[in-house]
Amino acid sequence: MNAVAEYLFEYLRDVLFDPDRASLDLARLPEDFVELGQGIEFLAECIGEIRAFSKALARGDLNSAIPSPDNEMAAPLKALHATLRHLTWQTQQVAQGDYNQRVDYLGDFADAFNTMTQQLEHRYNALLEEIDRSNMQSQALAQSNDIFELVTRETAQWIAVVERATGEWLFTNYPISNILANEVFMPQLERWIKDRLSSLEPDSESRAVEVDLSFGEISQYFAAIVRPVLWRGRASVVFVLTDISAEREHMNELETAAYRDPLTKQYNRHYGMRLLEQWTSQHRSFVLCFVDIDNLKYVNDKFGHLEGDKYIMEVSATLRGFAPDATICRLGGDEFMLLLDNWTQERAERRCGELRASLVARNSEPDSQYLRSMSYGVIGAQPDNTLTPSELLAAADEKMYAFKRAHKMERPSSV
Amino acid sequence: MANVFKKNIPHSTFAWENLGDVKEGRGDLGEDMPVIVYRLMQYTMLDVLARAHGEEQANEYFRQAGFLAGSEFAKNVLRLDVDFNAFVADLQKALQEMKIGILRMEAFDAETGNLVLTVGQDLDCSGLPVTNETVCNYDEGFIAGILEAYTGTKYVVREVDCWANGDRVCRFSGIAQKAI
Repeated sequence: MNAVAEYLFEYLRDVLFDPDRASLDLARLPEDFVELGQGIEFLAECIGEIRAFSKALARGDLNSAIPSPDNEMAAPLKALHATLRHLTWQTQQVAQGDYNQRVDYLGDFADAFNTMTQQLEHRYNALLEEIDRSNMQSQALAQSNDIFELVTRETAQWIAVVERATGEWLFTNYPISNILANEVFMPQLERWIKDRLSSLEPDSESRAVEVDLSFGEISQYFAAIVRPVLWRGRASVVFVLTDISAEREHMNELETAAYRDPLTKQYNRHYGMRLLEQWTSQHRSFVLCFVDIDNLKYVNDKFGHLEGDKYIMEVSATLRGFAPDATICRLGGDEFMLLLDNWTQERAERRCGELRASLVARNSEPDSQYLRSMSYGVIGAQPDNTLTPSELLAAADEKMYAFKRAHKMERPSSV
Repeated sequence: MANVFKKNIPHSTFAWENLGDVKEGRGDLGEDMPVIVYRLMQYTMLDVLARAHGEEQANEYFRQAGFLAGSEFAKNVLRLDVDFNAFVADLQKALQEMKIGILRMEAFDAETGNLVLTVGQDLDCSGLPVTNETVCNYDEGFIAGILEAYTGTKYVVREVDCWANGDRVCRFSGIAQKAI
């Protein structure tokens, strides 16, 4: 009997601690012990199944052989196995974006898992909203950009964006791109832009200025808007240049019509008197020269008005050589007025004398039909001057007549 | 004399409507009853059928009845036009709310349509002693009916494992057949 007990004990020990060796030969057991042996053998099978199954679970292998339904000891492991399989499936669904997965009846783990999926869902939805917002903004931006590109391409204005610090040109619209290669024009534009950049105050705002640029022989006039901007993160200045040459020309024409003498293109009486009034009221120091063409009536009578006009033009051209800063006005007929800001009377008289001499010198030319000459009267006005413009003009006129009378004898009408 | 006004489907032909208005019909007793009463009917019926037609045939009748129940349940209770995950979530919720069982999906192969799931605290079998025989024939049919109603594909569902875990948990494998 002891031998049977020892045999079964050894078998049971092998089942538990050395399963590869475990082997039970039921034939070696007495008849009364066969059923016990069979029971122990079943127990060994159950233990073997549980051992293999739990090892697989420990490895994370959820597809290993499952203990048989008869193995009731394996039930908790099976339940764990089913739970792990279910959680794996749920996690796969979450990974694919299904945040509605919820775990039930698994205590703290269920709470943690469900909180996680809820937070993931919350963040995912927030992200979707952010993406939606971002997409809408991008769409709006793209549309704005389309309009911007259309406008900048179709506009006649020149638009350039230049980085403030480096002077690098960051953007040019289509019209300005066409003249980038112009070797005459571009250096002027670049120089002008560079000057504007260097003279720009750090916190300056948008401002409108005018600029004259030469395009070969032709001058072009532009109204320019200079506006500091942030262009793709770089502190820059946008220049918008509008060609106002046509407007300027039109204004010049109007000015000519209003202020110029149609024959000589010098300023007319209206302009001259306005300037004289302005200078007088400003108490400026200036000189007024009254110039009268000698013998004009004789030339008109003898050679006709066409020749007379030529004579007037000749004197006008002579006066144009007076000085660059002289304002020359034809008062009418044979009379001119010159206004000289900050000149001295002596200097002006000297210059009048020089011009008269140069005019007279032409009389010796072979084809000269009549004697050219002019008389002048020069009046200086100081800041404390109390004479009115008309009185100043009359005083100069008087001096001119005095001059004319004094020089009458040296002045025969014809050659 | 025939009553020409009554054209109702006889109870021997199943119709969802014929389940009646339980709430109204059982105003005092309510809609719930002990599970044991359900099982009493189920297993006495199995007993009678087995004796009349043999155990195997009786099990097959149960499977067919389960299939019909699953189809009708799916059509009348579940949303069939949602994606698979939403469908499974609906199913889990419905089974739980109606106290049929706790369904847990273990695996689903999107390509083949095959799946593995468990049902715990099952109305039909949880608490029954675990034996070598499979007893969840009605459940097999029930799950197959639901899956076919949703996918339009025939399924063969078999109980592949069960264990006692306080309750009896059944594991089912569903193999999709060719499309209908």
